[in-house]
Amino acid sequence: MIPTGEATIGPFFPPRYVDAGANDLTLFEGRKAKGEAIEIRGRVLQEDGAALENLVLEIWQTDAKGIYRHPADPRHAQADADFLGWGRTVTDAGGEYVFRTIRPGATEGRAPHINFMVMYSGLMRILKTTMYFTHEMDVVLSAVPVSRRELLIAKKQGPDGYRFDIRLRGENETPFFDD
Amino acid sequence: MKTVIDPRDERTQPARIVPGYPQTPLRNPREPLIRRPPTLSELSGPLEVARRVRVLGGDIAGQGEKQAIGQLIHLRVRVLDEDGAPVGGTVVEMWQANGAGRYIHPNDDDHAPPDPNFYGAARLVTDENGQFELRTVKPGAYPVPTRDGWWRPPHVHFSLFGKVWLSRLVTQMYFPGEPLNAQDRILNAVPDTVARERLVAQLVPPSAQPHNALVYEHRIVLRGRTATPEQS
Ligand SMILES: [Fe+2]
Repeated sequence: MIPTGEATIGPFFPPRYVDAGANDLTLFEGRKAKGEAIEIRGRVLQEDGAALENLVLEIWQTDAKGIYRHPADPRHAQADADFLGWGRTVTDAGGEYVFRTIRPGATEGRAPHINFMVMYSGLMRILKTTMYFTHEMDVVLSAVPVSRRELLIAKKQGPDGYRFDIRLRGENETPFFDD
Repeated sequence: MKTVIDPRDERTQPARIVPGYPQTPLRNPREPLIRRPPTLSELSGPLEVARRVRVLGGDIAGQGEKQAIGQLIHLRVRVLDEDGAPVGGTVVEMWQANGAGRYIHPNDDDHAPPDPNFYGAARLVTDENGQFELRTVKPGAYPVPTRDGWWRPPHVHFSLFGKVWLSRLVTQMYFPGEPLNAQDRILNAVPDTVARERLVAQLVPPSAQPHNALVYEHRIVLRGRTATPEQS
C-alpha cells in the first residue's frame, strides 16, 4: 500500500487552515445570502479508486442573480452584499466533501455553474474544473469533448442536494481545464 | 477592470508526473487538459477572502519564553501580477516545517522532534506595494518516506489568490545555496532553469537591521511570462 500524500512529502495545507464554516456560502458574517440554498457533496478519487483525504477544494461562483462579487462584472454594485461567492473545504477520511451554497444565476453566454479548484500533494499544479446543473448551452462546456460533458453535470440528490464526484485520473476522469 | 491572461508557458511549469514521486502518476489527469475561452467567470475571483478566513499575522517565530528553535529569519516577499504590477490587499497563506524539518501535521513522520513553540503556518494580507514580511525560523530539510534518498530541501509553501480565479497560485520558496536544491524532485520538475531560479529567494547582505535575523527577499509573480512556477 502506497502511503498517503501527507505521509509522503509532508502535508499540504496545515489542519487549521480550513476554517470552520468556510464551506458554507449561504452565511456571510452572520447574515443569510439571498436565493435558493443548495448542498453539493462529492467524493474525490485517484486512479486506483482510493479516496483522497485532506484534499483542499475551493469554489467560486455568482450570486443568485448571476452577479460576480468582483469589479470585472459590470453589475457588481448590485451583487448580494451577503454572498462572498468563494468557499473552501477539505475532504474527510472517505474522500467526501460538502459545500452549502446558493444556486448561482446564469450570466451572458454561460449556463449556471460553479468553478472548482483542487489542491493536493502529488498534484504538481492546481487542477480546475467546472460543475454544471443541467446540460445547457455554455461556451466552456462546449469546449469539452461531447463524450465527456456529462462528467461535469452534477447529479440531483434529495430535494436541495447535488452530487459532484471528482475523479482525478482514470475511468470517468473529470475534465480539467488548461488555464 | 479587465484582466487579460495569457496561457501558461508549460516549460516554466513543473511536469505533472514526476519520476520517483509515486503519487503523481495516480493523481494527475491522463486526458489532455482542455483549453477554454476565458469568460467573466474565470476573469473574476474572490477579493475578500480575508473576511472569510482568519488572518493570523506575520510573526511565527514567537517572542520571549515562546520562541521557536532555529535560525531566525525574515522573509520579505513581493507579490506581482502578470504585468509586473504589485498585488496589494491579497491574502497569502504559508506553511513550513520547523527548524528540525518536522511539520505540525499529525500525519508527519517522527524523524525529528516537534517544537512546542512553532506551529509553522501564517496567513497575512499584502500591503499596497504587494509586500509582506514574515518573521520565522528557517525550516529544516526532511526525508521523504520514499526512503530512496530523496530529501526535501528547506522550503516554505505559499498559497496566493491575486485578483482573479486564474491567478490563484500554490508554490514553494527555496533557499539559495542549499546543496539539496539540485536533487529535489519537485523543484527540478520545472524544466526551464530560469523559471526554476524564480523559486529561490535571495539572501540580503546582513546589516545592522535587523541585528538578530537573516533577511531573505523573494518575488512571486502570479501569472504571465515571468510567472513563478506552481509547486504543490
Ligand atoms: Fe513541504
